[in-house]
Amino acid sequence: MLTSSPKLIFAICCSVTVAAAQSVDPAMLLNPPVDSWPTFHGDYSGQRHSKLTQITPASVHQMTLAWAFPTNQTQSIKASPILVNGVIYITTPDNIWAIDARTARQLWKYTYPMNDGFHIGHRGAAVYKDSVFLTTPDAHLLALDARDGKVKWNVVIADSKRGFWSTMAPLLIRNHLIVGVSGDFDNLPGTLRSFDPDTGKPQWTFNSTPPVGTPGSISGGSTGGQMWMTGTFDPGLNLLYVGTGNPTPVLNGVARAGDNPWTCSIVALDPDTGKLAWGFQASPHDTHDWDAVEIPVLADVDFQGTPRKLLLQASRNGHFFVLDRTNGKSLLTTTFAAVNWTKGIDSQGRPIPNPEKEPHRDGRLVAPNETGATNFRQPSFDPVAGLFVVSAADGYGLYFFKDDHGAYGWAGADYDVTSHAAIRAIDYQTGKIRWSHDIGEGTGAAGVLTTASGLTFTGDVGGNALALRTSDGATLWHATFGRMNNAPITYELDGRQYVVMAGGSSLYAWTLPLPAAAQRP
Amino acid sequence: MIHRTLVLELAVLILVISPLPAQQGGRGGPPAQSPASRLPPKTVTPQTYPADQIQAGESRFISQCGFCHGRDAQGGESGPDLTRSPLVAGDVRGDKLTPLILAGRPAAGMPAFSLPSADIDAIVAFIHDAKTKTESEKGNRRSVDVEDLQTGNAEAGKQYFNGAGGCAKCHSVRGSFATVGARFQGLALMQRMLYPRNRAPGATPGLLPATVVTNANGQTISGRLAYRDEFTITIVDANEWSHSFPVATVKIEGDDPLREHTEQLGKYTEKDMHDVFAYLQSLK
Repeated sequence: MLTSSPKLIFAICCSVTVAAAQSVDPAMLLNPPVDSWPTFHGDYSGQRHSKLTQITPASVHQMTLAWAFPTNQTQSIKASPILVNGVIYITTPDNIWAIDARTARQLWKYTYPMNDGFHIGHRGAAVYKDSVFLTTPDAHLLALDARDGKVKWNVVIADSKRGFWSTMAPLLIRNHLIVGVSGDFDNLPGTLRSFDPDTGKPQWTFNSTPPVGTPGSISGGSTGGQMWMTGTFDPGLNLLYVGTGNPTPVLNGVARAGDNPWTCSIVALDPDTGKLAWGFQASPHDTHDWDAVEIPVLADVDFQGTPRKLLLQASRNGHFFVLDRTNGKSLLTTTFAAVNWTKGIDSQGRPIPNPEKEPHRDGRLVAPNETGATNFRQPSFDPVAGLFVVSAADGYGLYFFKDDHGAYGWAGADYDVTSHAAIRAIDYQTGKIRWSHDIGEGTGAAGVLTTASGLTFTGDVGGNALALRTSDGATLWHATFGRMNNAPITYELDGRQYVVMAGGSSLYAWTLPLPAAAQRP
Repeated sequence: MIHRTLVLELAVLILVISPLPAQQGGRGGPPAQSPASRLPPKTVTPQTYPADQIQAGESRFISQCGFCHGRDAQGGESGPDLTRSPLVAGDVRGDKLTPLILAGRPAAGMPAFSLPSADIDAIVAFIHDAKTKTESEKGNRRSVDVEDLQTGNAEAGKQYFNGAGGCAKCHSVRGSFATVGARFQGLALMQRMLYPRNRAPGATPGLLPATVVTNANGQTISGRLAYRDEFTITIVDANEWSHSFPVATVKIEGDDPLREHTEQLGKYTEKDMHDVFAYLQSLK
């Protein structure tokens, strides 16, 4: 594959010149080439399953470091790298770097002015034509020139003075740039907005809970339901799928009777209008901060003998949901981690909360803990193996609520007891755990990537990057370069497959070693 | 399971755990009482700061610290209530807080912050101001008070402890365990009852059975478990020397000393938990 032939090198150079820049446009996003990772999930499905097969279970132990890129920030990298046109874009709160994907040389860096939003983390950028988009801690959306990082426009997504902030990697669907916000320290309506990627002009707003006092509101007095993770998209059905966060007040369920739709839900929206097509509540009447924002993974596969359009989610509340994504109807609900808060599953496939496990004055022992059975860390679905691989945790927490805690914002108290983490492979047709790979005491922070060669890349609690065999979870490779707080990505450049993972505040690219002959100048 | 876990012999547990040694102070050991179930410690050296510095500090605090510690410094998603922190109470104009902010507490999940000194000074001013305001408040919106927890029955708890709960298999009520209810109160006792973690640096030595590692030559080293993943185990011996071993090359005993506590979490009913708590409170 690799050669030092001058003729071939010349040919490659020429083709790059002629082809000009790789353009991210609606057509490209429908079928991303292997030398790109153009969106948070890599594609619209959220499967994080790469068709690349150069690195195999037999060769993965030979992987060698191609480059490292330290951001020199005190914050760790939580963002997905975005790769387009041979350039990687990586973010931390207020910061974005453009680096050469072949050398890790910095092309430019942009730093947003000091601001008062929460600087808790950042999930990544988005790219469209010659623009790179960045959300900010004070809930602005910026378009930067992809070539030099100059600001083209800057618009407000939501008012940070009211308690909104944003960490989200935007999702581009045709001419809609879709961004969400966070904000459960205040009683705020769940807000997802669409902007014109060329001009920054607002297009629509979807509220998962209506503003307080809205006549005819179905939310039962609840606010919240923020949409702070990037959604997925089915171009055939023209539906955008997004998970919504917890209701507010967070731990006080007394102030908001009923199920509190559409908090802790998966919602299907028309990306052209923001109108709700259907909703499915993962946690009706949540009182434990279990956002259902985990990735709604889309797959067109057989389900118990019938070809189906599925939506799969491993949810923070400990349940694995399989839905028919054409209509939101439940096909399967099981648990994939320790769960003690339900009285069973209702006829719609939703867990039934046990009132005894609501936060109470005397403290209630609840599994999962507040961090959840899983969380923002992305899962992966290998459709050939039929396995949904997720970073899970069996955790317990103590939950308190009394009237003194009030009905605003957090409105309660909770304390972690303990948690044990594992990478789990779920058989999507039965919900059964095929294998569980212990990753330590505490909670993992790394997402998962699977490849068509049968590999699973992820990280453990302590700071090891791992390559596992997808079929049985056996460890095939590991390297210790700092705790991984993002999900690995992979791509092929110049005929070589790379796997890029973060350790702490640095990015590391791994690849198979070149044959000795190819190393000669 | 992929990960090899050696079963800790029950006999070893009984020998080493019982009785629980007395809580020892110093070396930053776990607090005897949860900050949330007692009055906040008073500021040792009262300090005042200019209003504009406090205001600037509030804005810096919210953006850098607020998600974990709450916008009012009274605790957030994952960080403790700073207005009840003994470290804040003993701080004088940042002499303890500034180095902590700059270095972080990576093991506890707090990153280091490389902020300009004016920003850190302002954050310190805001934290002290927030603490002063809290001291004058009657209640606290995130408080858990000892009396909140009194819903159990001590006699039923004793029966569960000695019977169905299986606690008595490892714990006998003598020695210092006989006064556990005097040494720990409220939420701290409940948390300790559920999961008496000792993994943190500076945790009380000898609280849990030693972890014993035997290498290929038959040499044995025992000590406190400091780190464990699927590849490496690290123990700290009695002289505070750290020893690491590849897991694949050694025999390990006692690397999951809290296994029974973990398993018990899945068995407790709310009634059992509060009953056992009431029983432990009665051991004075």
